[in-house]
Amino acid sequence: MLLNPGSIWAQIESLVETLHFQSRCYFVSASLLFFCYHFHLSRDEVFVYARMAASRFWTTPGSDSEEEDSDYDEEIENGGENADEPTPNRYLRGNNASDSDDSDGQKRVVRSAKDKRFEEMSATVDQMKNAMKINDWVSLQESFDKINKQLEKVMRVTESEKVPSLYIKALVMLEDFLNQAMGNKDARKKMSSSNAKALNSMKQKLKKNNKQYEDLINKYREHPESEEEKDEDEEDEEEEETDSEIEEDPSKIVMSGTEDEEDEEEDDRDNLTEAGWERKMSKRDKLMDKQFMKDPSEITWDTVNKKFKEVVAARGRKGTGRFEQVEQLTFLTKVAKTPAQKLEILFSVVSAQFDVNPGLSGHMPINVWKKCVQNMFVILDILVQYSNIVVDDMVEIDENESQKGADYNGTIRVWGNLVAFLERIDAEFFKSLQCIDPHTREYVERLRDEPMFLVLAQNVQDYLERKGDFKAASKVALRRVELIYYKPQEVYDAMRKLAEQSEDGHTGGESGEEPRIEESRGPPAFIVVQEIVPRKPTFPENSRTLMDILVSLIYKYGDERTKARAMLCDIYHHALLDEFSTSRDLLLMSHLQDSIQHMDISTQILFNRAMAQLGLCAFRNGLVTEGHSCLSELYTGGRVKELLAQGVVQNRFHEKTPEQERLERRRQMPYHMHINLELLEAVHLICAMLLEVPNIAANVYDAKRKVISKAYRKVLEASEKQTFTGPPENVKDHVMAATRALMKGDFQKAFDVITSLDVWKLLRNRENVLDMLKVKIKEEALRTYLFTYYSSYDSLSLDQLTKLFDLSEAQIHSIVSKMMINEELHANWDQPTGCIVFHDVGPTRLQALAFQLTEKLSILAESNERAIEARIGGGGGLDLPLRRRDNQDYAAGTSAGGRWQDNLSFGQGRQGGSTGRTGYSSGGRAFAFNQAAGGGYSRDRTGYRGTGHSSRAVRGSQMDSSTRMVSLNRGLRA
Amino acid sequence: MANMARSFLQVAATEEVASPLRVVQIEGLVILKIIKHCKEFSPALVTGQLLGLDVGSVLEVTNCFPFPIREEDEEIEAEGANYQLEMMRCLREVNVDNNTVGWYQSTLLGSYQTVELIETFMNYQENIRRCVCIIYDPSKSNQGVLALKALKLSDSFMELYRNNNFTGEKLREKNLSWVDIFEEIPIKVSNSALISAFMTELEADSPVTQCDYDRLKLSTNPFLERNVEFLIECMDDLSMDQQKFQYYYRNLSRQQAQQQAWLQKRRAENMARRAAGEDPLPEEDPSNPIFKPVPEPSRLDSFLITNQISNYCNQINGVAGQSFCRLYLMKGLHEN
Repeated sequence: MLLNPGSIWAQIESLVETLHFQSRCYFVSASLLFFCYHFHLSRDEVFVYARMAASRFWTTPGSDSEEEDSDYDEEIENGGENADEPTPNRYLRGNNASDSDDSDGQKRVVRSAKDKRFEEMSATVDQMKNAMKINDWVSLQESFDKINKQLEKVMRVTESEKVPSLYIKALVMLEDFLNQAMGNKDARKKMSSSNAKALNSMKQKLKKNNKQYEDLINKYREHPESEEEKDEDEEDEEEEETDSEIEEDPSKIVMSGTEDEEDEEEDDRDNLTEAGWERKMSKRDKLMDKQFMKDPSEITWDTVNKKFKEVVAARGRKGTGRFEQVEQLTFLTKVAKTPAQKLEILFSVVSAQFDVNPGLSGHMPINVWKKCVQNMFVILDILVQYSNIVVDDMVEIDENESQKGADYNGTIRVWGNLVAFLERIDAEFFKSLQCIDPHTREYVERLRDEPMFLVLAQNVQDYLERKGDFKAASKVALRRVELIYYKPQEVYDAMRKLAEQSEDGHTGGESGEEPRIEESRGPPAFIVVQEIVPRKPTFPENSRTLMDILVSLIYKYGDERTKARAMLCDIYHHALLDEFSTSRDLLLMSHLQDSIQHMDISTQILFNRAMAQLGLCAFRNGLVTEGHSCLSELYTGGRVKELLAQGVVQNRFHEKTPEQERLERRRQMPYHMHINLELLEAVHLICAMLLEVPNIAANVYDAKRKVISKAYRKVLEASEKQTFTGPPENVKDHVMAATRALMKGDFQKAFDVITSLDVWKLLRNRENVLDMLKVKIKEEALRTYLFTYYSSYDSLSLDQLTKLFDLSEAQIHSIVSKMMINEELHANWDQPTGCIVFHDVGPTRLQALAFQLTEKLSILAESNERAIEARIGGGGGLDLPLRRRDNQDYAAGTSAGGRWQDNLSFGQGRQGGSTGRTGYSSGGRAFAFNQAAGGGYSRDRTGYRGTGHSSRAVRGSQMDSSTRMVSLNRGLRA
Repeated sequence: MANMARSFLQVAATEEVASPLRVVQIEGLVILKIIKHCKEFSPALVTGQLLGLDVGSVLEVTNCFPFPIREEDEEIEAEGANYQLEMMRCLREVNVDNNTVGWYQSTLLGSYQTVELIETFMNYQENIRRCVCIIYDPSKSNQGVLALKALKLSDSFMELYRNNNFTGEKLREKNLSWVDIFEEIPIKVSNSALISAFMTELEADSPVTQCDYDRLKLSTNPFLERNVEFLIECMDDLSMDQQKFQYYYRNLSRQQAQQQAWLQKRRAENMARRAAGEDPLPEEDPSNPIFKPVPEPSRLDSFLITNQISNYCNQINGVAGQSFCRLYLMKGLHEN
């Protein structure tokens, strides 16, 4: 060592800065080499100096330089002593130092804990080194286990994903040593048996262990020195990210230049000034882009373009840091020569920012996202300012298109797709909301960013509309719609208020500040972009108005999917505002129910959501039947959560593959968009109850046939099976308790049970809804009562009923009359006395059963006939229209009989049709029996044909007519 | 002479072939025991063993004992078998016929045509050449009828069942229809002369018995209702079965269409190959899944259901006929 430490100190310090801020490793190594060359030092020594300087620098940022110097000498000496073996402690301190970036007082404690862990770890590394020296594999193995354990602790303490470089370094060292040992066969032979054994097991362990850190190790091997830097860099990336744009000003870079002597001076200055370290940050870039540093005037379009191409080409390549790339590109935007070029580079910045998060599952870091939005704003600014620039992603664009300067008059084409970027930003926003735990502050904070995106979307849309690209504008409009549609007016207002507030504080900080700084710091970028597009959102007073504007734009210009989605959002929003008829009409007019099966899953989910909301809306408006029909389908499979994408359900019988599960996770709705499932279930079950209870009461004999809500029936059956019914706990229990009361006609109890549900507080106009519900329950209680007990009465006075059910006379009159008209109740009014007089004409149980049997028989006969047709090669095509005609003119009986005889000639073992028809007594054979039925129920059967015998409802109505059917048959027989 | 000898031989040979079972002759004691057992446990269904002798075309049932109520557990099943053996041993010791001739079981409204019954039959008939099942219906007996029935499986059915082959084709071949599954054998009740004498002694003076009163009961509705209910269930089952067949036929026709298409393609290919001078490919490809035969669903279920339906219908028929008589009688009485 030929030089005094003091003289290289300054040089080293400048290197340290680069080490700290410079993330691109090769520059570091280059500088290191430079030092080695100049001062005849070993690389390690230089490195140690650098590290020492770094630790000095970072631990005492405000101290004066003299003290530093003295300290420094000591350090150097230390360093000299063990120069060929850089002590891990240094790295540690380096690590700590980087932490002090976010120095708040409270973090101190954590840091000391970290320190301790790191010290332990480095001690272990030392042990390992010693063990290596004496070739002691047994103790090496122990140390290895120890360090792994310590690693866990360290990771816990630092709470980071990142493995400390110290550890990686140890791994690499170990691996190398192991390879060496394995290579040396003689030595291996000489080893004691226990030692050899340890060596072998070590080999296995290391192999397994290293696999986890493979890329880190590789990275380390590629750039051993930079590894340490990197983790520091990445640790305080967040700050850098936000700061870099503010602090990196090319003027500084240019001023400071690359000469080491200058650096020295400047650094001293920096240390003295308060803002010193901020400025130093900026110097990171100066080494990176030496070519730009020298002189601003020397920078030409070509150089920038070349550099730009170079950076872009590195994209996705191994060893290219994603963050670095963003930074480099951001820097390039500053030095871009023409607006078009700046735009071009900005597009790359945005896509590089999208690249920051590699996986599909994770989301983009929030600060990157924010910056991305800001970049988009700048892009828009440029586009608005220079209206001759056209963004296009369809045509191959000439390389030198962006050379044309701001004063160029013709159109300049730049490759890019605003809509795709915007959609990606939106998708990232959505993803981040999916990932963040909704019960944390973070989530709320994240939600606050929504207005920012809305503004951006609005601006993009405006721009596109001005450009006349309505198709793209409609896509953007859809994105906006999808952020608005699920917000009730209250939430919308809150968002609006937030946006207005943040105009001064929040957004001001985000968007307003940045250009201001840019301007204040001398001649920053070559292309100064004024802030043209508004950064502040302008929301209309009413969410409906906004929706209307957007939706009508989409309806006009959007493609099929966009339109369908917008329609669904529109329906949802209308339903949210309690406009049931509007949203129902929209749904029916759009015929979305028919085509929704063919759409993508996310649209299907949206459809489900819209249906659910529609059901809730119908219920709020007191439309029970409608509400039920909207919701019943959601509840048929018991997969509501999955259908609404509000949580992943594990199915016991159907194992999902991890792939499926991941897909499902990716389509989950963020928490704030959820429709409350309990409320939904309550509404569904209550609707079903109001419909089913009177229905069950009306069809006691044949409860199974006329099922309105299968899901409800299932729940009812389950609850009836219970030997002991406890007090209601969940929604189902409540509704079942209410059902039991309602079946007895006890409306008050039913209502009380229902009101005790706590989901009602989620409703906006809770009082009105509950009032409505009470009336409904009373009405249905009345109907149930009449169905159940009318056979016990000869007559029933209106007064009595009004007293029993607390309904007005007019209401009761209308309900009872309706029942009479529908032939549900065989009774008539006795006006003078105000009584209902019942006629006991209902079928006895035997009769009812007989009806049921006849129906079953007709089904059987029908399918028999079809089977025969299939067997003899079907004359179905010919028969069908014929029969339908028969059906209309009423000679069905005879002609059907004739048909039967036709068929009979094919049937084996069948008696003649006429004898068969007279009854089963004659034949005693099953076919004869069926024939009798067939002949008898020809009318019934033809009825089936007419309606396509598809739905249960049809069958039900068939049954209602069965009374008439019997008399008809009698006529035929006679 | 030779002729004669052969005919003797023939006679001997034919006598080897057991004469068909004509009558089941049951002791009064057995009937009473069966009734007692079944009635006590009604509506649970119970079974018991029949003991007796096989004499030519007559099967004499001379004694019986009940089985303990069956449980699902296998262990207990084994115990049941032990019980059975033990019981028989005890009975032999007291010189009772200990030759198993079948079993009896109670039923509810004649719903006994099940696969289980057939399986039990097969089990019994493996060991005992002649056996019967006596079915007693307590609910029907309430109406003043002795609802006893002796059943056996028909031979042709048994053969078919052994091969487990209930496709439509086989059934047609055997000319077996649903009526031919079970054979009902007339029951003859016999009592020893002593008992008969004693019974005459016991007989009350009044010509009317409790049974006669039972027969005059006018409430037939519950019985009819239950029958109709069961009928409805049967119809459902039958519909299900029919659906199964429809499904099968649909599959079959689809497969045939596929096969045809494949064959045509293959033929066209062969033509081309022949034209090119190559060997034609075979027209059968067993490895192809479309040539795998679709299994035809068994018709046993539908046969049994049909049997059951006819049983219910007969019951309804009978009850209805009797009820009409009673109603007319009542009407006549009222007019008087």
